Amino acid sequence: MAEIKLTAEARTEFGKGAARRIRRENKVPAVLYGHGTDPLHVTLPGHDLMIALRNSNALLSIDLDSESHLAIPKQVQRDPLKGFLEHVDLLLVKKGEKVVVEVPVTVTGEAAPGALVVNETTVLSVEAEATHLPEGVEVSVEGLEAGAQILASDVALPAGTTLASDAETLIVNVTAAPTADQVEAELADAEAEAGIEHDAPESDAAADADEAPAESTESE
Amino acid sequence: MLIPRRVKYRKQHHPKRRGMAKGGTQLAFGEYGIQAVEGHYVTNRQIESARIAMTRHIKRGGKVWINIYPDRPLTKKPAETRMGSGKGSPEWWVANVKPGRVMFELSGVPEDVAREAMRRAIHKLPMKARFITREGDQ
Repeated sequence: MAEIKLTAEARTEFGKGAARRIRRENKVPAVLYGHGTDPLHVTLPGHDLMIALRNSNALLSIDLDSESHLAIPKQVQRDPLKGFLEHVDLLLVKKGEKVVVEVPVTVTGEAAPGALVVNETTVLSVEAEATHLPEGVEVSVEGLEAGAQILASDVALPAGTTLASDAETLIVNVTAAPTADQVEAELADAEAEAGIEHDAPESDAAADADEAPAESTESE
Repeated sequence: MLIPRRVKYRKQHHPKRRGMAKGGTQLAFGEYGIQAVEGHYVTNRQIESARIAMTRHIKRGGKVWINIYPDRPLTKKPAETRMGSGKGSPEWWVANVKPGRVMFELSGVPEDVAREAMRRAIHKLPMKARFITREGDQ
């Protein structure tokens, strides 16, 4: 992945007041650390950083005081509703250095009919060179029958990438989907417990309406 | 319906309503979810009703996760009772949901089916909520 250049400014004020002033100027407070050095508190341009972080594990080149630092995002804090960036932790890396990162797992393909595919683990820890981090890994479930399982060790990783998490981690579990009757029975029980009643279907209601006058005439 | 098996105190104070969700604001299990946009108490009946509405629409082939639990009792005094004589009896069990909380998750169905199922579920909930996806979440 190509480096994404960002220009940073050193941060001198700290605390929520200063952080809010920075955010009001469409900038993001961030911290840069790693390799045992003192942390560098910086301010990054908000829009450029947001675009850069659309790629998972983007490699950033941070220009700070005429010095360039290579970094990868370690932790990204966002507003849960509006989604804007609140703070970013950046980990300093060097070219050729191996780092452990989490990459998203994407499930592709269609399992066999009647099978339910559950993606048990959505991110996988892998070790890769900082300058060649994978954007994600794909797992194919094409034609898998119920009962099949895909473990972390079964995932095909890109060249130069090794698995950092437990090889026995369950990634995808293929189970038998419940039958329509089972779902209907379970829902009927749940509805009875919750006291939910359905309106009679229109055809039944019409039939009842037809029958009602006939009954009344008979009674007369 | 979801109900605690045993509680330390049968009658509790009302849960605090202010603030945003501190955790559970992103999808953890499924591909799609319902995120609260406002804070509200959600009763166990509302949770169950939303789950039934969702499951009825997806029929079979999907998996539903419920990320909230109604662990707080709310009490009510009987009608036409004079004030005093102690706190009323527990009437409802509620989950104290704050804005940003992902309440339900769903996977194993196409996006259009999930969107419609969750739209139906949102109608059963007392607050404004929205449909979110894993792609949009990242």
